[in-house]
Amino acid sequence: MWQEILPNAWKSVLSRIRSFEYSQKNAVLVPVAALGVGGILICWLRSRHKIKTIEMGDGWWGSGERSLKGREDDSIRPFKIETSDKEIEDLHRRLDQARYTPHVEGAAFHYGFNSSYLKEVVSYWRNQFDWRKQVEVLNKYPHFHTTIEGIDIHFIHVKPSYVPHGRAVQPLLMVHGWPGSFYEFYKIIPLLTEPAKHGLNEGDLVFEVICPSIPGYGFSEAPHQQGFDSIATARIFHKLMKRLGFKEYYIQGGDWGSRITTNMAQMLPQSVRGLHLNIVFLGKQSLGRLISIMLGAYVPWLVGLSREDARRVYPFMQKNVYDLLRESGYLHIQATKPDTAGCGLNDSPVGLAAYILEKFSTWTDKSFLHKDDGGLESKYSLDELLTNVMIYWVTSSIVSSMRYYKENISKDPNLNAYNRFGVHVPTGIAAFPQEIVHTPRTWAKDVYKNIVTYSYMPRGGHFAAFEEPKLLAQDIMQFVRKVEQM
Amino acid sequence: MLLEVFLVLGTVIIYFLFSKKKEETLPFKDGWWGKGQKPDTEEDTTIRPFKVETTEEELSDLFRRLDQARFTEPLENSCFHYGINSVYLRKVVSYWKNQFNWKKQVEVLNKYPHFKTKIQGIDIHFVHVKPPRLSEGQSAKPLLMVHGWPGSFYEFYKIIPLLTDPASHGLSDEHVFEVICPSIPGYGFSEAPHKKDFNSVSAASVFYELMLRLGFNEFYAQGGDWGWLICTNLAQIAPNHMKGLHLNLASVSKMGFTHLLSILLGRYFPGLFGFQEEDIRRMFPFLEKGLYRILSESGYAHIQATKPDTVGCGLNDSPVGLAAYILEKFSSWTDMEFQNLEDGGLERKFNLDDLLTNIMIYWVSGCIVSSMRFYKENLQKGIGTQKHEKLTVQVPTGIASFPNEIMHTPQAWAQKKYTNIVSFHFMPRGGHFAALEEPELLAKDILQFVGKVEKEQLWKKKRE
Repeated sequence: MWQEILPNAWKSVLSRIRSFEYSQKNAVLVPVAALGVGGILICWLRSRHKIKTIEMGDGWWGSGERSLKGREDDSIRPFKIETSDKEIEDLHRRLDQARYTPHVEGAAFHYGFNSSYLKEVVSYWRNQFDWRKQVEVLNKYPHFHTTIEGIDIHFIHVKPSYVPHGRAVQPLLMVHGWPGSFYEFYKIIPLLTEPAKHGLNEGDLVFEVICPSIPGYGFSEAPHQQGFDSIATARIFHKLMKRLGFKEYYIQGGDWGSRITTNMAQMLPQSVRGLHLNIVFLGKQSLGRLISIMLGAYVPWLVGLSREDARRVYPFMQKNVYDLLRESGYLHIQATKPDTAGCGLNDSPVGLAAYILEKFSTWTDKSFLHKDDGGLESKYSLDELLTNVMIYWVTSSIVSSMRYYKENISKDPNLNAYNRFGVHVPTGIAAFPQEIVHTPRTWAKDVYKNIVTYSYMPRGGHFAAFEEPKLLAQDIMQFVRKVEQM
Repeated sequence: MLLEVFLVLGTVIIYFLFSKKKEETLPFKDGWWGKGQKPDTEEDTTIRPFKVETTEEELSDLFRRLDQARFTEPLENSCFHYGINSVYLRKVVSYWKNQFNWKKQVEVLNKYPHFKTKIQGIDIHFVHVKPPRLSEGQSAKPLLMVHGWPGSFYEFYKIIPLLTDPASHGLSDEHVFEVICPSIPGYGFSEAPHKKDFNSVSAASVFYELMLRLGFNEFYAQGGDWGWLICTNLAQIAPNHMKGLHLNLASVSKMGFTHLLSILLGRYFPGLFGFQEEDIRRMFPFLEKGLYRILSESGYAHIQATKPDTVGCGLNDSPVGLAAYILEKFSSWTDMEFQNLEDGGLERKFNLDDLLTNIMIYWVSGCIVSSMRFYKENLQKGIGTQKHEKLTVQVPTGIASFPNEIMHTPQAWAQKKYTNIVSFHFMPRGGHFAALEEPELLAKDILQFVGKVEKEQLWKKKRE
């Protein structure tokens, strides 16, 4: 009955309106229009307000009290890495006096770094590795220092040597992790600043790359105060980019770099054109997640897992619990007693190398545990591995690098306090098969609300930029191209 | 009628199986831990006297490393919260270089007779101290004392005289002991196993062979830290040879539903779960005193149980790093509050000579890595999963519960595993390194425990 009445009523209302005088029409239309536009405006304002951002805050990490007088020196000072005979002789002396412990029979890398292979590495280090030459390699890109929040921040800034007319140069901030450094990006930088030269014809994309050292790592000064976490780092890197004159930029990271760049996107989304990650950390496991994990082993498609996801995630207990437990001892001790854990490593270069290179073995390919030489030289050269170790050695930064774990983890063991903020900037994820944990797209969506690209990489592990620079560069470029087209 | 028969039979069978399982002994674990293949020749079973020695070269190498030590400044106001405080560590290193006298300490170490003997392919080091005098008709009771990590046989040097010669130290001399302190294989002057899988049961088997080789058919055993587990395993392997087991740590690795329940409700219904007032005081609030403490203090165990060769590498090369790593434990495990002190409270309970002597044992023997492997061999399959963890102990047991031990185990929990607890005492003070920190308290507790066992001949009772 009422189905007939409604259209009839509507018809009569419409005819009444049409019969109005012009001014009377306005009297109806204008308020309606105003209401409509007003409503849209309110909705739009509210939706903008819905995106919560992490508060920027402020910090001071220098020693002693912050000086209230005068402004902070914000000059950007060029910097060159140097070495000396004394430094090299001291290193050689320590290498010569190294004391080793024979491993148990059949240990391979199951007990940690194999001491027989370590002797070979140290022999190379002592006799063939040329630190002066490596310092020249390090200096091929321009280095700088600038003081932010009381500490000296080190970074390299590489601009493309040739920019074709009219091409825009995208600024890209790339953040390393532990036990890496800015040096991990040395092979990928040319692929991003001069793609055409390296056979990467990604059309119209060219980057200028900024790689800072996280405070406490490498040539960045270590914080003198407690509490220096990834939020403080994110803020400092935003200030750095601002100081360099950038208003909008892309950011990329793995390991701690992933966490820091994520925080950067949550803190100042308007400055982040796009966020690219090669690892995704999701701390919290909710009940729904647990159920989908259990179901996913049998019906992955039902819970949004692809076949590749299932291949990488299952068997779940083995890959995500046992393997993680086996590999996270370093994390546990660094998150609780960093000054103890790092003390001997800052005094024994051989100990430092064993500790760091063990990660370059296991986190590149889990099967390397079974090899007597940890498979290290199948993916990396000793020169590049030792250059990274030397950065920790000559800057004495191993202890401060470990403190980062305590500052971030002891407050928030699951690293998920900021996950509730979500990440709304366009995000690209490169999922490498040998990464320590695999995060499927459906799970990443919980935090990263705007995933533009998600790629299953064909090979590679945790140190993606170091191990597979071309694959990573290609993925970054196809992500940025998509974002630019949007 | 048939149903009733089956029911009775079923019950009998279940009871039989159930009780038999609990009383099962742990099998002796034979092994060969030497290098390469086991030779066909008979093993050399001689017991050779041994003296700790040092050389000028050893000392100058040490000093050179101490001189070139590189330190990292601590964060402001961090005390011992980030681990050892390097400002205090510098003071220790300065003492180590300028005042500590290793040659003198070696003489101190040699004041008790040392020996070595080959068991299951490796050289086992031990100290064997007999009483200086015995009364008419008295015989010395053999007492095996086993150290832990990061300790050594040296931890017992203060308590040994109280047990071999109690009368001279104001203690009752009703019972007098001859003390045997071995070094766990891979620790100190005992050879490290060259093969995988040398765990606490292996160590217990080796020490069992040692006691038999020394001619002891019946003995007492005492231990804390790994010594607790090794002596427990020994009691499970050879209950007929062990008259009594004394522990200053009694951890429970198998936690079940009742444990969880008692953690949740024990504070409100202590009697229901068998908790005493002192238990409540030491255990609750559980999150703070139990869970968080374990998490914040077990990083070392986690990394040693997974990558011992990595974490020990630098420590075997840097004496300062080694000292930092070991001293941190002597601080927090003696009193958790020491973390709030800039010097970690170390010299309140110990003197630097003793602490550095213990560290030197790890340094001169180069054993830090093999000492850490023990964690992997014991823990890599997980906690609570091994056979010996499911078996109980029927040997008469005495437990000295020290207040500052890392985690407190109430008697209610301990007696599920140690079914024959003869004495359980709350000690008034002291932490993890009981023998070194409170030798008199520990000695008194051992003496009263042995007194009880001997008086009622308790070891015989369980064999009937």
